Amino acid sequence: MLEVGGGIPAAFAARWMAGYGAEVVRVETDGPLGPLSADEAVYLLAGKRRTAVDGWADVADLAGFADIVIEDQAPGTLDVAALRAARPELCVVSVTPFGQSGPYAGYAVTNGVAFAMGGIMSLTGDIERTPLLTGGSAAFYLGGINAFTAALMAYYGRLVHGEGDWVDLSLQECAAGMVELYVPGTAYGQPVQLRTGNHVRAVWGIYPCIDGWAGAFCLERQIRGLFAAMDRPDLAADARMNDPVQRATPELDEELTAHVYAFFAGHTKAELLDLARRHKVPIGVATTPAELLDSPVLAARGYFESVETGEGSTARVPGRPFPGLGWRPSGAVSAIGELAAVRSAWSGAGS
Amino acid sequence: MKRLPLEGVRVADLSMMWAGPFATMRLADLGAEVWKIESPSAWDNIRTLVPQPGVEEPWNSAYYFNAYNRNKKSVTLDLGKPRGRAVFLDLVRHADVVIENYRADVLDKLDLGWEVLRAANPRAVIVSMAAFGKSGDDAALVGFGPVIELMSSLAARTGYGDGEPFKTGISFGDPVAGTVAAGAVVLGLIARRRSGEGCVIDLSQREVAASLAGEAFVAASLRGEDPVHRANRSDRFAPQGCYRAAPSRVERGDAHDEQWLMLSCRDDADWRRLASLLGRDDLAGLDTKARFERHDELDELIGAYTRAHDAQALMERFQAAGVPAGRVLDTGAVLDDPQLLARGFWVQLPHPRMRRYKQFGPVYRFVEADPQLRRHSPLFGEHNAEVLGGVLGLSAAELAALTEAAIIGDAPINPGVG
Repeated sequence: MLEVGGGIPAAFAARWMAGYGAEVVRVETDGPLGPLSADEAVYLLAGKRRTAVDGWADVADLAGFADIVIEDQAPGTLDVAALRAARPELCVVSVTPFGQSGPYAGYAVTNGVAFAMGGIMSLTGDIERTPLLTGGSAAFYLGGINAFTAALMAYYGRLVHGEGDWVDLSLQECAAGMVELYVPGTAYGQPVQLRTGNHVRAVWGIYPCIDGWAGAFCLERQIRGLFAAMDRPDLAADARMNDPVQRATPELDEELTAHVYAFFAGHTKAELLDLARRHKVPIGVATTPAELLDSPVLAARGYFESVETGEGSTARVPGRPFPGLGWRPSGAVSAIGELAAVRSAWSGAGS
Repeated sequence: MKRLPLEGVRVADLSMMWAGPFATMRLADLGAEVWKIESPSAWDNIRTLVPQPGVEEPWNSAYYFNAYNRNKKSVTLDLGKPRGRAVFLDLVRHADVVIENYRADVLDKLDLGWEVLRAANPRAVIVSMAAFGKSGDDAALVGFGPVIELMSSLAARTGYGDGEPFKTGISFGDPVAGTVAAGAVVLGLIARRRSGEGCVIDLSQREVAASLAGEAFVAASLRGEDPVHRANRSDRFAPQGCYRAAPSRVERGDAHDEQWLMLSCRDDADWRRLASLLGRDDLAGLDTKARFERHDELDELIGAYTRAHDAQALMERFQAAGVPAGRVLDTGAVLDDPQLLARGFWVQLPHPRMRRYKQFGPVYRFVEADPQLRRHSPLFGEHNAEVLGGVLGLSAAELAALTEAAIIGDAPINPGVG
C-alpha cells in the first residue's frame, strides 16, 4: 500500500492498514492537509516504511507496484486516471476537503475550516457563545476512517470482480452525511436546528459531579432506570414524570433538571459508573487520555500499544481499532529511507 | 456497467438506532444486500423516535430512519420466540455477514451468542459493536454516542476553556463506530477469501472513538499532559477562530438566523493576505509569536470586519486570496451549499409514504462503479416474502403461520414514541 500523504487522513487510514497486515510505504511529501505535528507523527507514522522521492514521477513509479494508493494531495496533483488506466487492478482513494470537483475543489482548509463546512460544528457548543470545534482534528480523522473503509471496499471489489476503482472522498461530504436527524429534519421541513449545548433536556445532558463531569443520555425506556439509579422512587411514582409529553414541558424539564443536577453533584465518577452498570442507564463520565491509559479494562482488552518514537522515548497509543483479525503492533517510527531500496524491494515482490 | 464492490454480499443486520445502521448503510450503498431484521415487538426505535402526531404509519415515514436505512430490505422476526429464532438462524446460514449493536448481553440472552452463530455458519463474518465491547467491567455499561464521547476522551478535549467538557451536537460516536464497523466487515470478508473461515469481531465503540485522539495519548504518555480546551483556537495557527458574520439573506428559519465564519492563518503568508483584506497592512508584519500574543486583539479586528459582511461572500473573498475560511454551515445552509449542489450530493428519491426531499447520496464516490441511492428505506416487513420466501423457500402458508403467531408482521405491535 502506498501512502501519498501530507496530513492526517491518508496517514491514519494507512496506519490501520499496516496494523492489519498491509506493507505500507509512505512517500514523504508536503500536502495541503499537513504537516503532521510531532505527536501526530509518533501516532500515525509508526509501523510504516518511509521514503523520500524526487518528484511526482517517482510517486507514479511506486504506484505501479502497489495494490492500494491512499492520498490526500490537492485535486489533480496525482494523475490518478493515468494510474488506473495503466493498471486496472489498482485501487486509489483520494481524500480532499471538498472532493475532486466543484467550485470549492481548490479551497484551502485547516481541520477547523473543514469541520465548519460539514455541518456538525453548527450544532456544537452553547447557543449563547460561538459554535464550537470538536477537540483534536475531528474532520481530518473522519477522513481517515472513511478512507480506511473505502479502501477496503475497493480492494474487496478488486478481489471479487477483478478491477479496482478510484474513490473520490470529500471531507465535507463525510461530515454532511452524518448529521444525525438534524439535516434530514431540516430537509424534510423542520426548522433549522442550532446548537443545543451540553444540556438538551434533563435526561440528556452533561452535569458536574464531585470529581469532574458526567452525563446521562436516556431514551424513554431508560427513564425508570435513571430514577432507580437516583434512588428516587417518588419520581418513579410521579405520573407527570413518566409521561414523555408532560416531562418535556419547560416547567417540568426544569424541575427534573434540578433533581438530576443534585444527583450528579452528589456522586463521584466511579459511583456514577457503578450505578450505571447496575441500573443499565446510559451514564458516562468525562475521561481524559491519561485515565484511559490507566484503565484496567482497556489493558485487559489489549487496546494500547507502545511506539518507539525514534528519539529514545516510548509512547503508548491506541492500537487495533477492533480485535478479531490479528494485528501487527506498529513498533517504531522508522527513519526516512532511500527510494531505491523501496523500489528494489517492491519490484522484486512484484516479479 | 461496472459492478459495485460489495455486490453478492448478504448481510443479516440486527442493528438498531444509529451506529449499526450507519455501518450497514455504508455496506448497502456499495452494493451489499442488507436484510434489516426487526421484531414486531422490538423494532428499531429510530422509526418512532421523533413523534409525528396524526401521521398514519409513522414507523414507515420517519426522516431519521429513512436517512440511514436506504438501499436495505426489511424483514421482521421475533427472535424471542423459538420459531423466529430458528428462521433467523436459517438466514444466518445464507448470509456472509451478521452484524449487531445490541447492549453487550442481549445476543446471549436471545441464545444467539457468537458460538451459536458460528455453529450455524462458520463462514459468517460476525461483527458485534457494543458500546464498550463484550469483555471487561465496562461491557455492562449502556452507551449512546454522547456517552462514547465522554468515555473516549473526545469530550475532554472540547470546550470553551473554562473546564467544562463539551459533547458535539450529534451522537458523534455512532457514525464513527459505524464507519469503522463497515470496514471491519469488509476486512473480515477479505480475510475469509484466504482462510475460508469467518471470524468474530468484538468492536468497542469507545475504542474506535478514542483512536481519533492518538496524539493526545502521545502527549499524555510521554509528557503527562492533560487536554487543554482552546475553544476554536489552535495551538499551531494564529489567528484562528469562529467569527460572527452578517445575518443571512437566505431566510430559512428566521428565528435562528445567525451566520458564522471559521478562519485560520496557517503561516505568515496567510496572515499578510488576511491583513490586507482587512485593510490593516500595518499589521501584516506580525509573526506567529506576535499573532498568538495579540490573539484577542486580532479577534476583535476580524470580528468587526466579518460582522458587516455576508458569510458566503466572506468565504469566497478570503478563499480567493488563499486564506483558509469556511462558513459554519447550519442544517439549512448545508442543503443549499454550492459545492454540495454542484457535486450532486443531495438526491431526491420517491418514497411511498413521504414527500420528496433532499437526502445525501453515497459518500464513497467510486468514480467508475458510481454507486447511487437505489431505493428508499424499507417499509416495516416489506421484504418478508421476498427474503423469507425467496432465500429460505418458505411457502405462503408458512409465512401466513408466522404472521398469525406475530413472529413476522408488517406493523409494529403497540407502537409508541421510541
